[in-house]
Amino acid sequence: MTELKIGQEVELEYGGKAKVLKVIGSGGQGVVYLVEFNGMQWALKWYDINKIKRPKEFRNNIQNNINDGAPSNKFLWPKYLTREMPDGTFGYLMELKPASFDSFVDILNTYKLVVDPLSGRAVKKNVRFTSLYAMVTAVINIANAFRQLHRAGKSYQDLNDGGFFINVDTGAVLVCDCDNIAPDGSNFGIGGKPGYMAPEVVRGLTKPNVQTDKYSLAVVLFKLLFRGDPMEGEKVIKDICLTESSELKHYGQNAIFVYDPDDASNRPVRGIHDNVIKFWRLYPDYIRDAFIHSFTTGIKDPNKRIIENEWQKMFIRLRSEIIMCGCGRTNFTSMFVPIDEKTYQCPKCGMQFGSLGFSNRSYRMPLYLGCKFYKCEIDPDSDDFLSVAGELVENSLKPGVLGIKNISDKTWRVKMPDGVFYNIESGKGFPVWAGLEIDFGNIKAQI
Amino acid sequence: MSKKNNIKENTQGQGASVLDFDDDDPLSATSVSKKSLVIFFLIDTSGSMRGTKMGELNTVMEELIPEIRRVGEADTDVKLAVLTFSTDVKWMYSTPINIEDFEWTRLNAEGVTSMGAAFKELSVRMSRNSFLNSPSLSFAPVIFLMTDGYPSDDYQAGLKALQSNSWYKFGLKAALGIGQEANDDMLAEFTGSKDTVVHAYSGGQLAQMIKVVAVTASQIGSKSMTLSNESGEEVENEDVYAAKQKLLGQQIQDFVGDQNNGDVPFDIGW
Repeated sequence: MTELKIGQEVELEYGGKAKVLKVIGSGGQGVVYLVEFNGMQWALKWYDINKIKRPKEFRNNIQNNINDGAPSNKFLWPKYLTREMPDGTFGYLMELKPASFDSFVDILNTYKLVVDPLSGRAVKKNVRFTSLYAMVTAVINIANAFRQLHRAGKSYQDLNDGGFFINVDTGAVLVCDCDNIAPDGSNFGIGGKPGYMAPEVVRGLTKPNVQTDKYSLAVVLFKLLFRGDPMEGEKVIKDICLTESSELKHYGQNAIFVYDPDDASNRPVRGIHDNVIKFWRLYPDYIRDAFIHSFTTGIKDPNKRIIENEWQKMFIRLRSEIIMCGCGRTNFTSMFVPIDEKTYQCPKCGMQFGSLGFSNRSYRMPLYLGCKFYKCEIDPDSDDFLSVAGELVENSLKPGVLGIKNISDKTWRVKMPDGVFYNIESGKGFPVWAGLEIDFGNIKAQI
Repeated sequence: MSKKNNIKENTQGQGASVLDFDDDDPLSATSVSKKSLVIFFLIDTSGSMRGTKMGELNTVMEELIPEIRRVGEADTDVKLAVLTFSTDVKWMYSTPINIEDFEWTRLNAEGVTSMGAAFKELSVRMSRNSFLNSPSLSFAPVIFLMTDGYPSDDYQAGLKALQSNSWYKFGLKAALGIGQEANDDMLAEFTGSKDTVVHAYSGGQLAQMIKVVAVTASQIGSKSMTLSNESGEEVENEDVYAAKQKLLGQQIQDFVGDQNNGDVPFDIGW
């Protein structure tokens, strides 16, 4: 391949030159350089043209993606193509990943290695979500990103742990490596990463498409929550020679989910799959059922795989079922003791939590200091799961008195302790009391 | 009640209730187990290696380790195991050592070339009960043989033992012949292909060959092979390792093709 030198200038397709500053990474298809263009720093992905099966079509596809633009701001999308070198080598510019984002691989490892350039030795630095809120928000963001991509009629093709950057404080997600994204049905030679590929892709029966993306998405979500491999259990561990060739068997022809209700042959093994064993029991039934469905029915029948919008709804629900107890224990309502159908109790400290019921759903939202609900939860037409609409706060003048603050841009009608409904405008609040009713417009809520 | 409450699970033993709150933090994950790759170096330390060859080899191996460190991606654990053979067969360390922690111990050369015994020893250790005991899926091992002479024992018996080992069968094999005495045909028997056998006649070549072969093999060995066959036929097990071995052969030959510089041969000019 034609490698670039530090200081070298690369001509862009529509004028201007990008100056190479340094190498920032390398992957299966080429090298990524830090470059300067128009006074700004960018990432330049530079291809090893020999590793691209049909370079002309591949380049055209990137050009089309650039023209179409990113499906949303969750993508580190190609921005400018370079001109081709005499041997056909080329690359494209994209925005740099902000420093506040960590790679999904590092999150799974729970640390990243920062290499000391002198000794070549690496120092470990922790990479962990700082709150359960952030982790579940990341999961919602990932499902949403693929929903947006698939809505644009495109498939990602090689969805895997190398494809995301996540902010562990906020749960914000950036999808990278967008160069293999192609209109659903097209493929430019990429197969995918073992463990993430749908069984029919592993077996070479299908090319990656929107339906195989859905399988890979389920694997990514499983790995993020349960920190293990959905297909790696007793059956796999017993194998005498575990090499990539065994992947065909364990992820293809004979893939068995570790919690397949009808086949216990591949259960997680204590001492090896401790994360999966520990976390599986923490999650509510609807989440576990969704993964069971994905990795049993969904293995054989691509059309029955869970669609992104269902994942998104499920995880928005899961986020609203988090309780952060005053004693420091944070978990889902399924891990609190139900006192009655509206009250949860912390098994550790005994603190009790009331809850809010909404007119458009069967599950209830536990109330605790700092809990939030989002625009999409009080407006059936909204898909905005990031803008907070209301938050439970303490009255600054009356310590110990809890109330809900309206952070949305709408005025709500709220029943106060005197039994009368009042208008609560944006920025105002109201106390939480036994007879509380809130009218958000299309959706109503009550204690 | 949904179906899954009836699942026979080895995880739903006693105490798996909401009351078990001591260890139920959804954020308390430990690292996801990584895929591992063990790189085996089989090094001839017989008397004929004494002097420049051994000095060169020791130096290049010391330099090579930081380079291989950079090869492993964040999701791969790379380990090294070094087996030396002369009159006796010896492992540098009693188990494969993580590349981050590996320290090269300088080797000395003396004695005869018990390559067959080395093959047998390797075959015994390449097992899930021994050196390849990672609980997760591993990459097939990389096995790199370096020798300057002809085996002084029955290497074929050793090779036969090795060939019945499936880790060897799936492994990425390369060999380096050093000087005039080394027999490339015999080395090709070991690797299974002439393309993955290289030859060094001089010190400069030796250093280059070791680095190129080791780094290339580690790179190919530690990356998942993307198989996309255009025919749409079902992929077979054999396709994966065959594809890797072929790629290694091609890349080594590409390099060798570029390397016909006029270095003074090892065995000449003393």
